[in-house]
Amino acid sequence: MDPTMFNGLMGIWKGFFDNVMAEPAIFIGCISLVGYILLRRPAHECFAGFIKTTVGFYILLVGSGGLVNNFRPILAGLAERFHMKAAVIDPYFGWNAVTGAFAKAGWTTSLIMMALLIAFLWNILLVAFRPYTKIRTLFLTGHVMIQQANTSLWMIFIAIPALQNNVWGIVACGIMLGTYWAVFSNLTLEPTQELTEGAGFAVGHQQMAAIWLTAKLAPKIGDRKTSVEHLNLPGFLKVFNDNVVAASTLMLIFFGTILYILGPEYLAARKFYNPASGEWFFKYVFKTTIHFAVYLFILQSGVRMFVAELTNSFQGISERLLKGSLPAIDCAATYGFDKAGGNSVLFGFVCGAIGQFVAIMGLIVFQSPIMIITGFVPVFFDNATLGVFANRFGGLRALVIICCSCGVLQVLGGALAAGLTGLYEFGGYHGNIDWDTLWTFNAWMFQVFGLPSIVVLTLLMLAIPQIQYRRNRATYFTHGAASE
Amino acid sequence: MLKVIAACGNGMGTSQIIKMKIGNVFKRLNIQVEVGHMSVGEAIGQAGNYDVVFCSDSLAGSFKAGGKTKIIGLKNLLSEQEIETKLKDAGLA
Repeated sequence: MDPTMFNGLMGIWKGFFDNVMAEPAIFIGCISLVGYILLRRPAHECFAGFIKTTVGFYILLVGSGGLVNNFRPILAGLAERFHMKAAVIDPYFGWNAVTGAFAKAGWTTSLIMMALLIAFLWNILLVAFRPYTKIRTLFLTGHVMIQQANTSLWMIFIAIPALQNNVWGIVACGIMLGTYWAVFSNLTLEPTQELTEGAGFAVGHQQMAAIWLTAKLAPKIGDRKTSVEHLNLPGFLKVFNDNVVAASTLMLIFFGTILYILGPEYLAARKFYNPASGEWFFKYVFKTTIHFAVYLFILQSGVRMFVAELTNSFQGISERLLKGSLPAIDCAATYGFDKAGGNSVLFGFVCGAIGQFVAIMGLIVFQSPIMIITGFVPVFFDNATLGVFANRFGGLRALVIICCSCGVLQVLGGALAAGLTGLYEFGGYHGNIDWDTLWTFNAWMFQVFGLPSIVVLTLLMLAIPQIQYRRNRATYFTHGAASE
Repeated sequence: MLKVIAACGNGMGTSQIIKMKIGNVFKRLNIQVEVGHMSVGEAIGQAGNYDVVFCSDSLAGSFKAGGKTKIIGLKNLLSEQEIETKLKDAGLA
């Protein structure tokens, strides 16, 4: 090829890469667009899908920027006055932290979307070859897929220099994460089918290993006859079904306490708070803490907008490709099957919150360098889900023991993972139970054993469905037959 | 045109699933609808602006009964049959 033409082409490619591929909002818009085109939707719908995905992602970035600013007095104050780092354990705060960490490292977050795509395609392949792989479920929970791609790609990039910020790192992350989705959602199929009396889905979310463990442990530590349905929970707890109220209340308690400990003098000296303006300190604290909920809300509405488009195209693609496989969906889909009519959801949440608060007290008493702040998503959704499963398989006693321990593990494992991954610097960590236990272990393996650990862990995961199949050849594939 | 919302805890996962299933059912019944999705927290405040609110059975109690808005709690979010039966029971199809 003529060298000037080659240079010209390279220039065009570089321009395309910098302006489209490396701009996550536009790149993810293109993914939706391709999905809609593959589904042969009319042109105006393809266009709308592209626009809503891109606009949604930019809204997410507005919320994210707000959170970072709002965090500044708290992170600075804790570091300067107490030499302490704080991380909110919540997947949205974790996402925010990874975005910040990527920006600081000079990497584009579009790479995360590429890892996500590879993981999704790998999960499809594993299901397509199910006679050999024994995988029956496809992970379809869009917002969770992106959150997990964020955290896992960061874990791999920082641990293994050979995989840092390059295509091999993206592929390794995609394979590892896609295997986790396929294998662990497949593991939840039996307990979920038993809970729902064959509703025809598995859980594809943030606590899949924990659900499997709960279904195994609950019958041993409890008695399923003692369900929580006989429990009269106080009515005010219902208010925590409302995510706006729950998130704001948590932020008010935790950040409010921290701001009061830092005190008006310190915050005034650092020019965060201006007493001369006549603003009450109490009002400053209230306004600052409530704004965490405000930005979280903006961020989530952005996510909701673009994930809706992405999920549409993902589901459309999978429905075309994989007849006979089962969807792995959001954990909240199990709540309708709570045999205590929703009581286990609230009671699991309360027990998990107690576990988290006790563990946080422990961090303070033992002067941990990393302070953990409860986030709404893990404390509610993980514990509510484990609550529903624990109550079904082991009743009240199992629910209390499992959800309280889950709360404790979320805080201790989250603190460990935030430290290992360095994400505490950015004020947040993923925080859902699988990501405080299994993936804390994975992150440690990546850092100690490097590339071979990814190969070994992936192979170990792939062996799990083989063992499941060997134990239950007769009904393994028919057990999960959907009712529709 | 019927105005419908699907609601769930955080307005992310399950409400999106319900929304897609509702869309399929109304298409089959040939009823014109506008379906949105959001969190239960938002939906409690906005329910009055809609004709029907769908959510998981366990969350249906968060909404005030009565009023012109129909609240439909679903057990199996993936079951189009359940959606259809409950729509018929509510006199909407």
